[in-house]
Amino acid sequence: MSLGDELRYLRAFHGGGNLMEIEAEIGLEPGTLRYMEQRYRRVGEDDEVLTKIAAYYDVSLATLQYHRERYRKALSAHLHQAMESRATARFELRTGETLSGQVRWWDLGTFGLDTQDGRPITVVQRHAVLDWER
Amino acid sequence: MPKNLGEIRKRRGMSVNQLASKSGIPIPKLVMYEKGAQEIPAADLRRLAKALYVDEWDIAPRSSPPPPPREERPARPREQKEEPPRKKKAPPKSPPARDTQIAHMLTLATRFGMDRVALEAEIGKPLDELTQKEARHWNGHFMRRVAEERPPKRAIDRKRAYLPEGVDGFELDYLQEQQEADAFLHFTLFDGQTFKGKLIGFGPYQITIQELSGDEITLNKLAIAYYRKASGVAGGAGGAE
Repeated sequence: MSLGDELRYLRAFHGGGNLMEIEAEIGLEPGTLRYMEQRYRRVGEDDEVLTKIAAYYDVSLATLQYHRERYRKALSAHLHQAMESRATARFELRTGETLSGQVRWWDLGTFGLDTQDGRPITVVQRHAVLDWER
Repeated sequence: MPKNLGEIRKRRGMSVNQLASKSGIPIPKLVMYEKGAQEIPAADLRRLAKALYVDEWDIAPRSSPPPPPREERPARPREQKEEPPRKKKAPPKSPPARDTQIAHMLTLATRFGMDRVALEAEIGKPLDELTQKEARHWNGHFMRRVAEERPPKRAIDRKRAYLPEGVDGFELDYLQEQQEADAFLHFTLFDGQTFKGKLIGFGPYQITIQELSGDEITLNKLAIAYYRKASGVAGGAGGAE
């Protein structure tokens, strides 16, 4: 799960506040959080900024750093490779489950996974993927 | 000494159009000022001075009208001299086609399954005898054929949702298909909760379902972990996943 997805979850859990207000409260440059929440590329390089955000949301810096490594474009590359190679891919979800199967299609929000157990295609939300085999 | 607006503008090498866009004063107004038909109000004078890099007092508030046009004098008839008829120049002969032109033509021809012999047959003369002009003509001809035979690009008629979890291309097709089929979907949320119902609508960030009880529930996309077509339920009939 990307840092942006995690930050949106955290914001939702903390009452879904306004981004500009949160930025002002944390003491960040306007637009910092919005940028982090919406980018597909790797973001959040500045650990000082991450520390402030982690303190605000009451999570550890390591948690945010963990998500920083799992940016959306990296998942796209993995999905593309998995689909091309038709290999069985494994995805660890936020629910605690692990889904495996063949990636049939993917787009910017979801991917279709054929779990090959006779069930229909599972539409997995990319923001729910905590980690994947890399 | 203050100068006419038109003089200053011309000295600056600006057109009326440029001055209008720089000063923000409409062109018809500027024309009136330059003709001296209207006095330049103080506010416009300031804007013009700024746009022309001069002081306000350098511009005359009312331009003096330009001198009246000279009376037209009858044109003096020109003495006709008898000139010997000019020889018509023969059009310059086009030089022989460049190697690169021929190479390009051969590459294009291969797209239509033609080799050199077939290409020469189509053109009607050996490639070595082509002129630059002819080569340009034939290259253009083949390029147009390539363009005509290229499949048209699929027009992008959708806009990507603003947030990353928004419904994108494949999911959009999938959801439309399920909605048309009155399919029942089984949703698992990030906290493990599950919902099952008939898909009755969706937006970029929400999916609305109608449960078997008849209740409508709107699920936030961010809260959904995954979903799939519910097995054992078809066309609104009850059943369990």
